[in-house]
This record gives sequence, structure tokens and C-alpha cells, in this order.
Amino acid sequence: MSRRDDPRGSSLDRERGLDRFLAGIERRAFRIACIALGDRGEAEDVVQDSMLRLVRKYGNRPETEWRPLFYRILRNCITDSQRRAHVRRAVTAFWPASASDEPETDPVERVPDPRGGPQEQFEGEQLLVQIEETLAGISARQREAFLLRNFEGLDVAQTAIAMGCSEGSVKTHYSRAVHALQAALGVSKS
Amino acid sequence: MNEDRSDLELRSRAAFDRSVESLDSATRGRLARARAKAIAQLERPRLSRPAIWVPAAAASVLVIALVWRMDGREKPRTDVAQIPIEELQLIPAEDFEMLQEEEGFYAWAAEQMSEGVG
Repeated sequence: MSRRDDPRGSSLDRERGLDRFLAGIERRAFRIACIALGDRGEAEDVVQDSMLRLVRKYGNRPETEWRPLFYRILRNCITDSQRRAHVRRAVTAFWPASASDEPETDPVERVPDPRGGPQEQFEGEQLLVQIEETLAGISARQREAFLLRNFEGLDVAQTAIAMGCSEGSVKTHYSRAVHALQAALGVSKS
Repeated sequence: MNEDRSDLELRSRAAFDRSVESLDSATRGRLARARAKAIAQLERPRLSRPAIWVPAAAASVLVIALVWRMDGREKPRTDVAQIPIEELQLIPAEDFEMLQEEEGFYAWAAEQMSEGVG
């Protein structure tokens, strides 16, 4: 019996393929979720949910389909999380949290990253902060198009699948996002 | 895509890449654990129906052949009841499952039976 015909062999291959795919995408997905949600804890949750859903629903699909499907799931999870946060804000406006309700931060997280920042890293971080602030002010669709096309490097067709819209809409949203960023950051297209 | 990208797009992408690379180890660890949890949800394939029925059918054929032989002209060379208990070899369930998957197991079992149990 060849490995291809063996259901346990192909299952193992699929498991390894999914692990490889998710390992290559999880950090980028987390950063994108951070930018979209502005909350690291929420970002971790939506990435975890997205990974679970991809494995459960689409683990059997061809590997080439995983990337746009994953980002479509991530986008839906982000939207759900934003809705929940909206409801939470409305509720906590009536019952503000006391100081004791504040979650304790993990002491490991408070340890500074040993990879110190040279000047260009600092400038890059500053640029990213400016971009995140600008992206927070544009429409959700434009923001998604920019995150998926520019940061994640999806092509127009993959972005269209992830966003659930036409390729023409992706181009329009992306172009408007870039123009908004250029205007906000005072740079011209070069 | 790269040919048409502006300086802003290129610089912002580079800044994003750096921010991904510099993620703290605690976050990376949590993401890796989340991935492992997701992978664990992957359904393991069960034995398909033919894979279950083939060993069962083979065992049935073996038993029928044995009964037919014992019922007929030949007497069994060894009476199982006469074998001292300490000489019987017990096979754990997991080993038996493994043996079932071996194509040569039933041929070997039939050969052993024809030569006499024990």
C-alpha cells in the first residue's frame, strides 16, 4: 500500500501540511488582528479561533486554498470580536469596572524584548504606529484591503476571496487606502 | 505586485515584517500552543468499512474451515484442552489489532492450525 493510498499516511501529511501552513502564518495574522482590533488579547483569541475553524472546516481542502480561506475566517472573527467589543462598551458604560477587575499582566510579558532596537527599527515602529492610527480612521473595507494586500501579500484574487467581494472592489478599496495613508503621512506616490 | 508599489507601501510592509519578527517570546509561545490545539482537532480517519470487514470475513472463513476439518474425517492432532495453561501464549488486544493488519497473519495462522495447535 503506497503512502498516498494509506488514509493514515495521507492524514499525517495533511496534519504536517496544516502545521507548516499555520506556523508560517500565525504571527502575521496576529499582527494584522492587533492592528484591526487594537487589543493583543483579543487578537490572540481571534487567531486561535481562526486556526480552529480552518482546521475543522477546511483542513481537507487543497493546500492552495488555505491562505485566502484562513484570512476570510480571520476577517469574520475580527468582525465578530468588534461587535462583541461594541456591546461590551455599551454595557460597561453603565457598570464601569473597578480596579480589582483589571486583568493582571503576565510578568513574562513585562520583560523587555532582548532584541534591542537600532535606529531603523525605531523609525519603522514609528511609521507602523502612524499607519495603524491612519488605518483606524478609514473604512473597514479599505483597511482590510490594505492589510491583506500590502502586509500579508495576498494577490487581488486571493484578497477578493478573503474579503468576499469582487476583484474590482479590492482594487478600489486598496487604492483608496493607499491614498488615505499618503495624505495622512504627507508623502506622495513615488 | 512589487513593480507598482509606492515607497510608502514598501516601507510600511518592511515595518510590518519587522514587527512580526520582533514579536515577544510569550506571544509566540501562546500562538504555537493555539496552533497545536487546532491541529489536535483534526479528525483522524477511521478504518473504512472494507478495512473492518476484510479481517472479520477472513476470520470467519478460517473458523468454518477448521470446524469442517474437525467435523470430518480427521481428528485434531492436538486437543487444546490438554495444553498446559503455562504454555498458552496470550496476545494483548493491541498486538492482535496489529496482527490483523498484517496480510500474512491469516496465512500463518492457517498454517499453524493445519500443523496442530500448540
